[in-house]
Amino acid sequence: MTQPKEIFVITDRCVGCRTCTIACAVAHSASRTLFGAVAETPRPKSRIYVEWAAPAHKVPLVCRHCEDAPCMHACISGAIRRTDDGVVITDTDKCIGCWTCVMVCPYGVIGRDLERHKAYRCDRCQDRDIPACVAACPTGALVYQTVPAYAADVRRHASGEMVKGKGS
Amino acid sequence: MDSAEAYVIVGGSAAGMAAAQAIRERDPAAGITVLSEEADAPYFRPLIPYLVSGRKQAREMTLAGSGPYTGRDIQVWTEARVTAVDCKGQRVTLADGRQLGYGKVLFATGSRPFLPPEIKGTDTEGVFALRTLADARRMARRVEATRRAVMLGGGLLNLKAAFALLERGIRVTLVVFSPEVLSQLMDPEDALLIRRALDRAGLEIRTGAAARTILGDGSGVRAVGLDDGTEIECQMVCIGKGVRPNMEFLAGSGVRIGGGIVADRFTACNQPNTFAAGDVAVTYEPVSGRPIMTALWTNAVEMGRCAGLNMAGVPTAYTGTFGILNATQVADMPFVSMGTVHTGGLDFQIYRHASANAYRKLVFDPEGRRLMGAVLVGDIANAGIYRYLIREKRDISAVKRQIVNHQLHYGHLLPN
Repeated sequence: MTQPKEIFVITDRCVGCRTCTIACAVAHSASRTLFGAVAETPRPKSRIYVEWAAPAHKVPLVCRHCEDAPCMHACISGAIRRTDDGVVITDTDKCIGCWTCVMVCPYGVIGRDLERHKAYRCDRCQDRDIPACVAACPTGALVYQTVPAYAADVRRHASGEMVKGKGS
Repeated sequence: MDSAEAYVIVGGSAAGMAAAQAIRERDPAAGITVLSEEADAPYFRPLIPYLVSGRKQAREMTLAGSGPYTGRDIQVWTEARVTAVDCKGQRVTLADGRQLGYGKVLFATGSRPFLPPEIKGTDTEGVFALRTLADARRMARRVEATRRAVMLGGGLLNLKAAFALLERGIRVTLVVFSPEVLSQLMDPEDALLIRRALDRAGLEIRTGAAARTILGDGSGVRAVGLDDGTEIECQMVCIGKGVRPNMEFLAGSGVRIGGGIVADRFTACNQPNTFAAGDVAVTYEPVSGRPIMTALWTNAVEMGRCAGLNMAGVPTAYTGTFGILNATQVADMPFVSMGTVHTGGLDFQIYRHASANAYRKLVFDPEGRRLMGAVLVGDIANAGIYRYLIREKRDISAVKRQIVNHQLHYGHLLPN
């Protein structure tokens, strides 16, 4: 199996424009278009959240699809499972809306659809090559990479910074 | 001895099946046999009220293949009740006389409903304590002959059963000895919004009352007699008065018992190659360090997984659990209750906030540096972050304002 890609967040680059949240909601709407999505009831919901922390940090938050996912083990109805790609998904048909997953998620990224009485979360856009939030982010704050590739990028960037530091 | 297996798990519910799955994840080939005394293959026990309401069929509750329970070749023996354990010979004996040897054994026999002996007539037809799928089937059948049901006990299990019956069009009266429902999960004043939601949903509630007798006739239950002398005419009674651990089969085995089966930090019992997990095990509160027993699916899974890892040779300390760790929705009101939530007369810093649709109570230590417990009603967003802070005993001074105002998010916990 090839290493699955994950969504990485570079908080320094986030300007808090929330383009990702709109793209996510549209990608999870019935019509898949912005104009269609805003008219739908219940209103399509974003699975990614952009929070603000003082003094000026913008923090995009999205399901980490944890390796030892607390939500999956805590679920009392067997609604949460991991796909072969490592994506933790909530089976809406099985979900009974008991919110146990919400109670155990340490990132606070499982949403509650009150109209349907179901929990929802990032599914990494299973039907797209690149998740909608990543594709839409205008500043490169969201990166869709495998762990080794992302780690290599971070190393390259850090070593570049170190070399620059010596040169000055 | 008839046969032997590397791993024998006594009990086929949350803790036992989570352990079997954890062992399988570490050891793809080892023999694993689960012994369950129930006739049904393992299922998601918390779903059984849905069989009564008719929302789900039994086959939709099957555990194997659902959620994380995908491990292959986990043998499950149903109707296999263990009656004795020989720790020296490393084998268990079943009720039908069969014996099974083990390399390592897990005791995950769970608990059973407690039927208060002071209530007379609990053996009358139409009296239930909803615990197993078989109970749920019997209860669903009795619904046909039931116009009114009386629930004894105001805990979560009974509330869920009550709603299942309401959905079936039955008039339901909840009789609670405590001054308010859910008294195990919150103080009475914290339950106001939930009480209102229950009232709106049409549940009749009588607090401060206790049942004395269950009266029957040829067709089963006909009434419940209360301690104030009144009688409530009904055709069904459901008892939700807590549970007791199933550990009688360990008599004479040498396995140490103390309220429940005593397990160490690595879920091991005092005899070689024996482990315990779930409702039947005594565990520890991480906040207070006190020994506790809980009867929660989520806790049982967590401890079962931990035991499975230890059995498979991956030493894993069990960090203990909160005595209270509940999330659910009753009627249209979601709530979460976790950690230290009963604060009457105790020295804590407490913040309460009430609005028309939401209520929260946050309990801090006397110095106000650690979060000890939380009750969130109506708005339960980000409850998992609070759980994390309570469990890790984090110094929350820097984010206390956000906690009190219920604005905390994960971003606040990141280093600046």
